[in-house]
Amino acid sequence: MHIPDGFLTPPVWGTLDAISAPAVAWVARRAQRDTQDHRIPLLGVMGAFVFAAQMINFPVGPGTSGHLVGGALLAIVLGPAAAALVMTAILLLQALIFQDGGVLALGANIFNMALVGVAAGYLPYGLWGRKPVSIFAAGAFSVMTSACLALGQLRISGVPMTGSLLWASLGLFLVSAVIEGAITVAAVRAIERLNSVWLAGGPAPSSSRALPALAMALLVLVVVGTLIASTAPDGIQRLTAPGPDAAWTLRVVDGIGGLILILALCFLGGKLISRRRSA
Amino acid sequence: MHHLVIDRWSRGSSSLHARDPRAKLAALLVFLVAVSTTPPRAQLAFAAYAALLIFAVHLARLPIRGLAGRAALVLPFSATFALITWWSGDALHALALAEKSFLSGMAALLLVSSTPLTAWTSALESWHVPRMLILVIQFVYRYLFVIAEQAQRMRWAALCRRGAQQSYFDFSAAAGLLGVLFARSWERADGIYHAMLARGFRGRFVPAPPPPFRASDALFFTACLGGCLGIRMLL
Repeated sequence: MHIPDGFLTPPVWGTLDAISAPAVAWVARRAQRDTQDHRIPLLGVMGAFVFAAQMINFPVGPGTSGHLVGGALLAIVLGPAAAALVMTAILLLQALIFQDGGVLALGANIFNMALVGVAAGYLPYGLWGRKPVSIFAAGAFSVMTSACLALGQLRISGVPMTGSLLWASLGLFLVSAVIEGAITVAAVRAIERLNSVWLAGGPAPSSSRALPALAMALLVLVVVGTLIASTAPDGIQRLTAPGPDAAWTLRVVDGIGGLILILALCFLGGKLISRRRSA
Repeated sequence: MHHLVIDRWSRGSSSLHARDPRAKLAALLVFLVAVSTTPPRAQLAFAAYAALLIFAVHLARLPIRGLAGRAALVLPFSATFALITWWSGDALHALALAEKSFLSGMAALLLVSSTPLTAWTSALESWHVPRMLILVIQFVYRYLFVIAEQAQRMRWAALCRRGAQQSYFDFSAAAGLLGVLFARSWERADGIYHAMLARGFRGRFVPAPPPPFRASDALFFTACLGGCLGIRMLL
């Protein structure tokens, strides 16, 4: 589900980079506000734990096995903001050092897995509390949304996936979502049995049901919208990028313009944050 | 191990290692944008990008085969999608997909193989990437290998205990393994925090002032910009 560079067209990665950069700045600020000093190493160690946990195979049938993806588990243990930040750090390291996902596509991967994926992994928990059903839903929902978003972005970028292939991959996603849900439930149960205090440090389920329900509806809308939009990539490409015959300079200007926009947003975000902190 | 090799490479000494990490990061972005915007029919341009990369690897005195082998990790994923694209009748596009992902991966790998982690994270910090994110990246990287090796040892031990056959019960056994790994990681984080306190940690890290951006760094970046733009426009 990590999209490498070269798959997304400049308008797609540019837009997602421009969305993810300020979102990560916001998430980092929230995480810093909510995290006490003694939990700072914990965030890093939990990131390393998620990396390492992927080496433990869960048998799920004859000859096949799955492993933890971890977005939902992190959200349950650390809370949504810190979990999104840890996921962002993991994705950045994976892109640069482990050749898992691209650098320009980092915005897309962060959006899919760290921002929306963690939010999707937190919302069922916020809605229904810590019950096996909601933990299962958290894991499954988190993986399903990330995968569908990645698929939609690939299709918008013109990777031809139609008919049976599309259904096959959606089926595959569903299977991995169910596996992730089962692993998350099993992991939470195992952790609880060892020491339930570790999970108590996490966030309390929110008292109001309306907000998480609304957020969940919005999330489903975004995912379904991306998938529907991707059925008509031509229309979107006509809107956002000149055709293959148009002057390529426009595309370069597009790409560089997007990059400058992202840098400017980062810079402004940083300025704003440092001013607030010093105030 | 794979990552340790990159760590060792990044501490080498060459004219590429000596460049300012900010210049290298900016050059990487320029290269990636150029590759990303190159149309599939410009096959000559992809060859030129590859030549540029090979030159840079040579400059950094790194083993080209080792780097290419690691960058090839991206190929199974791109080959799958390239096959799908090829199948739908667009062979050139399929080829470009594989080339773009490989060249981009190789460029990113060259950056981390010629720049230590602390250097490129401090470059990111000077670009106003949130400090909290930088901190988490450094912690994750620092403990990644420790905890991964612990997971590996636990897996071996579990394999030794139960033999090769798998059954339903192994699912809960794997969950138990995960729980214990979690517990050990948590305890380790506690220990790390106390060790930091004992060494005078007062709630924030003091970053070293960034080294001066020299004329040679500017020249390096200009050369990369010129090379990429030249390939992109002429070929």
